[in-house]
Amino acid sequence: MANVMITRLTAFDRLVHLGTAASFVYAFLSGIGIAFPKMHWLLTVLGGGEFARWLHPWAGVVFSVFGFLMILSYVKDMFFDTDDIKWMVGIVHYMTNHEEKLPETRKYNAGQKMYFWITVFWGTIIFLVSGLAMWFPDAFAAQVAPWVPGMGVRDLVLLATVVHEVMFIAAGAFFIVHIYMGTLGMPGTLSALATGKVTAEWAKAHHPKWYREMVRKA
Amino acid sequence: MSYLTSGSTTGLAIRRMSATKEPVLDIKDQEQLGILVDISSCTGCKACEVACIQWHDLNPPIATEEELRENGFSYQSAPDLAANLFMLMKYQEAETDRGWTWFITKRQCMHCDDPGCLTACPSPGAIVQYANGVVDFDQSKCIGCGMCRTGCPFDIPRYDANDHPFKCNFCLDRVGNGLVPACAKACPTNALHFGTRADMVELGHKVVAGLKDRGFPNAALYDSAGVGGAGYVYALPHGDKVEHYGDLPKDPAISSLVHLWKGPLKWIGGAAILGSIAAMFMHLVTAGPKTVEAHGKEE
Ligand code: HEM
Ligand code: SF4
Repeated sequence: MANVMITRLTAFDRLVHLGTAASFVYAFLSGIGIAFPKMHWLLTVLGGGEFARWLHPWAGVVFSVFGFLMILSYVKDMFFDTDDIKWMVGIVHYMTNHEEKLPETRKYNAGQKMYFWITVFWGTIIFLVSGLAMWFPDAFAAQVAPWVPGMGVRDLVLLATVVHEVMFIAAGAFFIVHIYMGTLGMPGTLSALATGKVTAEWAKAHHPKWYREMVRKA
Repeated sequence: MSYLTSGSTTGLAIRRMSATKEPVLDIKDQEQLGILVDISSCTGCKACEVACIQWHDLNPPIATEEELRENGFSYQSAPDLAANLFMLMKYQEAETDRGWTWFITKRQCMHCDDPGCLTACPSPGAIVQYANGVVDFDQSKCIGCGMCRTGCPFDIPRYDANDHPFKCNFCLDRVGNGLVPACAKACPTNALHFGTRADMVELGHKVVAGLKDRGFPNAALYDSAGVGGAGYVYALPHGDKVEHYGDLPKDPAISSLVHLWKGPLKWIGGAAILGSIAAMFMHLVTAGPKTVEAHGKEE
């Protein structure tokens, strides 16, 4: 059984993940450089302040395009069920590596589903809309101001900035957890991004229900 | 740490810079400058506008006949401020208790004591407030994001094709060398008074008191209290009709959204990002990685 590999990600899924990952990392790091004066040096590393501010929204647009494709291809596995609620309630067992006390998971556990909904689904939409507002403040204000009477044109752009920042905080904190789980926190996961395959042991240990579904199908 | 601790040994001291902690201020002692615009003495001749264009070597927008027609052949040189037009005389007419009246207003950067542009700017040192109160841009440090206009309660900065901002700099090169700003120098009616800000506020109150005596009961001093006062102070004959004075905001103040964005959200954001890195590290060294072997044992 040691060499049995299970396909977890299709070539399309892997391509889409690479697209979101690369663009998100650039938008994330340049966003940090813009948001925090003490991290301004990051912009120097990313090509210079003016360049990084120029590329950030384009990286964001690339993220949103791939994010949209990702939603289409991943969403079918991302709906919550009652097991997910039990899993969330007992999340401390997951943190302490006692999964045996939690409901067995299918292809994605409740944490991964939350990550999908917050960073991928809402991130794709909210970063894009609020980002466009900051990118083209005059055009945005001209379009949106008539719909929200009582709000000044500049206040609308400021509101978008605040929304962008809140989205960044939520998506960014989750993103760090995601990177950890994909690398150091769960050995054997990163290679799935390149090959699309995981070992049978990996599947059995982390996503037993999905593993059995796959075995049944095979 | 500050990106700059004070001004250089010669020239102007720096009071505040964007995205940077307060510089050291006790090295030099420089007085805050001000200009009083006495609107009751202004004839709308635009000498100030011409002097501004001349001194700053501006290439101002010249309206075509079509544009003039669109703007109803206004007295105004241009519909709005522009990157190549740092100050603009604005002309409006409105009904007052003294009948149909001209509201002619000089509009430019106000040089706020608490500048919204400087608060909003993410790039260290791109916006500088000198100890004499003048607020200016350092284009070499600007990343071209456009936040300065969004943060400005007076909607002043305008951008060139490279998204770099331009506005009135209070003739920093003149006042730094003991000269009167170009606009105040050119004004033929003494509607523009230049001096220390404290003197201008005092003079402004006198002008307002005089106006009240002369049958302008609503005369008022426009002193931008919401931004801690500003370099520009206006004596308004019709203080109850602020909005007619070239769209001056009634109660200028930095938006609370700017404070939310630059205050609590920065703390929450920093804590969330650093906190999750710390939490993941803690997981690694306490619970340890989720290896396939570990799970095998538990089963
Ligand atoms: C989807 C399309 C996106 C667009 C069009 C966009 C556009 C922008 C623009 C125009 C700014 C203003 C820059 C400034 O304040 O000078 C900005 C700031 C920022 N962006 Fe984005 N962005 C996008 C996606 C993202 C993503 C994916 C992230 C992070 C994961 C992100 C994080 C940030 C951060 C942290 C800031 C700084 C906000 C601040 O000044 O405090 N953005 N973005
Ligand atoms: S456009 Fe330049 S000066 Fe204005 S806020 Fe952005 S970085 Fe600062």
